[in-house]
Amino acid sequence: MSQNETTAAPERRSLRAKPFAKADRIFYRVSTIAANSSIVLVSLILIFLGIRAWPAFESQGIGFVFGSTWNTSVEPIVMQIGPMLWGSILLSILGVMLAVPMAISIAYFIVFMAGKKLGSSVSVLVDLLAALPSIVLGLWGLLVFSPVAADWAKMLHDALGFIPIFANSGDNFLRSPFIASWVVAVMIVPIIASITREIFSQLDRELISASLALGAGRWSTFRRVILPTAAGGIVGGVLLGLGRALGETVAIYFVLNLIFDINIFNILEPKGGSVASMIMSKFGEASTAEVSGLMAAGVVLFLVTLFVNMLASYIVAKAQPWRK
Amino acid sequence: MANLSAENVNVWFGQRHVLKDVNLVFPKNEVTALIGPSGCGKSTFIRTLNRMHELIPGAGLAGKVVLDGRDIYDAGVDPVEVRLRVGMVFQKPNPFPTMSIKENVLSGLKLSNRKTSDADGLVETALRRASIWNEVKDRLGDPAISLSGGQQQRLCIARSLAMEPEILLMDEPCSALDPGSTRRIEETILELSEDMTIVIVTHNMQQAQRVSSRTAFFLAEDGNPGQVVEFGSTEQVFNQPIDLRTNDYVNGHFG
Amino acid sequence: MEKVITAPVARPATAEPWKRVAPASRLMLIVASVAPAAFGALAMVLGLRFELALLFVFLPVQLVLGVIAGRRISGKRGQSDAILQIFIIFFAATVFVLLVSVVWSVIESGAKAISWQFFTQNNVYISPTTSLEYGGVGHAIIGTLLVVLLSTVVTVPLGIATAIYLTETRGRSRSVVRTLIQAMSGLPSVVSGLFIYALFIASGITQYVGWAGSLALIPLMLPTVTRVAEESLFLVPQELRNGALALGAPAWRAFWIVTMPAAKSGLITAVLLGIARIIGETAPLVITTFAANSTNYNVFNGPIATLPTYLYQFTAYGYDTSIQRAWGAALVILILVAVLFVSARVITRKKKTSKKVK
Repeated sequence: MSQNETTAAPERRSLRAKPFAKADRIFYRVSTIAANSSIVLVSLILIFLGIRAWPAFESQGIGFVFGSTWNTSVEPIVMQIGPMLWGSILLSILGVMLAVPMAISIAYFIVFMAGKKLGSSVSVLVDLLAALPSIVLGLWGLLVFSPVAADWAKMLHDALGFIPIFANSGDNFLRSPFIASWVVAVMIVPIIASITREIFSQLDRELISASLALGAGRWSTFRRVILPTAAGGIVGGVLLGLGRALGETVAIYFVLNLIFDINIFNILEPKGGSVASMIMSKFGEASTAEVSGLMAAGVVLFLVTLFVNMLASYIVAKAQPWRK
Repeated sequence: MANLSAENVNVWFGQRHVLKDVNLVFPKNEVTALIGPSGCGKSTFIRTLNRMHELIPGAGLAGKVVLDGRDIYDAGVDPVEVRLRVGMVFQKPNPFPTMSIKENVLSGLKLSNRKTSDADGLVETALRRASIWNEVKDRLGDPAISLSGGQQQRLCIARSLAMEPEILLMDEPCSALDPGSTRRIEETILELSEDMTIVIVTHNMQQAQRVSSRTAFFLAEDGNPGQVVEFGSTEQVFNQPIDLRTNDYVNGHFG
Repeated sequence: MEKVITAPVARPATAEPWKRVAPASRLMLIVASVAPAAFGALAMVLGLRFELALLFVFLPVQLVLGVIAGRRISGKRGQSDAILQIFIIFFAATVFVLLVSVVWSVIESGAKAISWQFFTQNNVYISPTTSLEYGGVGHAIIGTLLVVLLSTVVTVPLGIATAIYLTETRGRSRSVVRTLIQAMSGLPSVVSGLFIYALFIASGITQYVGWAGSLALIPLMLPTVTRVAEESLFLVPQELRNGALALGAPAWRAFWIVTMPAAKSGLITAVLLGIARIIGETAPLVITTFAANSTNYNVFNGPIATLPTYLYQFTAYGYDTSIQRAWGAALVILILVAVLFVSARVITRKKKTSKKVK
């Protein structure tokens, strides 16, 4: 702000770096239209779902989100997604809790422990994990992983059943939030790991080697230098993973019982919920009024993931100042 | 032929005023050197001469740059036309990595959608004028990035020359190069100046003395915008500077 | 610029980096890495479950020995370093085991279902219990390719043009667009399906049809294509663009002739990763294209089968043979993903090596 010249400077001219030739104007116009189509697309999604969902919101009121009954055989029908919404949140949080240590460890291993060659092959594996379609993970979760995890759940229950979280009223340990959250964790590990890896690899190498050279151990370097600097990015990555977990559909449908009875924290009970899976499972035989309810559930889910993702991208962008 | 002059040129980046009231005339077929310490705005100034300046976000400008009697910043002037007449060589060699040596020389034609009947002849002329023909004539099809840094820079000069600009702007063309390559580029500049107007930004005062006939000394003092302190024949600026600060700078007292 | 030399710092008196690790400590390291495995194996022989042996014998022994070894070798900080490294490797290995388990079970179970006719035949006259000698996923492979192709044809130009807007122009809504693209990448796939259903099917414009599925995949594919393309354009040095513009090029020619070729491999990767993103999507297709048993070559007419919906359907039947077919379909999807993935890798690799040549 050094505009304290004694003589008045000549007037600033408008510098138009704008396209002059016709072809250039078309070039910019086309890209602008394409870019704005994403704005249009997101608003269209919200508008059309909103229109279709409106009857359900209108008839159900606020109970749609917080109530826990879904009964379409009574008149007037009752549609409330409380257990599903809480189920989605519970699963996602558990999934994130399982995924975070694995993801950070993988990222740390790739960036700071493995050599160049090993590191890059491990990151290829992480990318491969990210590329696995969720339905394939769902099939694996249903047929391979569920029996194993049910054993783990039973052992957990036998050892720690006196703690309410690990209580189980019956003897069925399949199709519980515990199992579903493992499947979700497998899905989001690569998301968190790849962002964390990128943040780690952008850290100032000099800072880290200086810390090590000063006689600080790997642990205190990790604790005092790496984690504080990378924390923002990791949180952003975790939120991105959370968004993905909230929207996961088929895989959860395969490994979890969807029960309209709220299960607050009994993670070993074979009852849970997921908005996305519920939409898909009910869609096939839904009446018009029920479809409206499913649309409304979709709107709620979208708003939640939208919020989580916006927050995530804001935090990630803040944590990665080197990207403009 | 082309006459280029800057009239009261002021430059801002955002709110920061970086150049103030620059008035310079670049006579036809002469080499003008712009010298001065880092950060005095000489590189910024040279970019205003072919409207590359406006590509930087937040760039602002006041004053006129007149080419053949017409202000190149007039609303009706196409920047593309300006750049066709006023070529530019950058500090860092920037050959197009996806193209061969030959394609690089011809890239300007392709980029401005022009045709030539004698592509091979044009390539040879341009490479000869940039004095790199003998080194590359047997491998014109090789990728441009296989050349050494000095060769890449001369290739970039050839690339500009193939467009037959009337004026060539050079922004510290030798700063990234070894002494041998520098020498050759200086020779090239001297040859080119016979039929071309050249403006060169340089940090190297010996270089300015070797290649230029006129010199402008830029200086930005203590947070003030950069200004031209002295402008005259190279001989005079280096040997009988009028301004004390010029004297200090050319004798290596600061900068 | 030369490196700035910071003020000298006192070297810790105990630091002796030139000193080689003494044979005794090397022995410690070997013991610390081998002994826990031996203890774990012993525990398993004595009848402990593998997971329990791992968690309650192997890991604790490893930690104790690691701490002792760390302490012997580098003093107090060696302890916490050993703990850190042991946990890092433990967790990283867990991920590796999970990945291998997924891939291996798909390959192992899928291979049993796969035969030539599984690739070529369709599902007409096949019930969930029909033996595996009859019928296959030929119709679903074709359906997947067609539906994905249609999505790709729409999404790739859109995504790349958006990336151009974000990197090559100074448009005013860049940050809004970037945020929305990011938001779209979190769009639940089932919601995308619902959207298309609400727009075209519930409103009576069409019945279940292939193109509706393609449209439902667009919002899922767009963010991937845009972000990877943006990244690769962003990595093209500004000097190249300036070089082209300084030669008197209009912006679109500078992009077409200089920037795009320089970013080519990244752009191809964007397309491949975009396809990989949607090729296994299930929920939106279940809602919009439904399923079919016969082969349908026309995405603009009638329901169409795809690999994910086939997999979904046959898993839901729950019979042994239908599950085997589902594994087979999973393997086919995995193969398609692997092909895309490897091509993307090879393309980026080529780019890197050709850079190194200079």
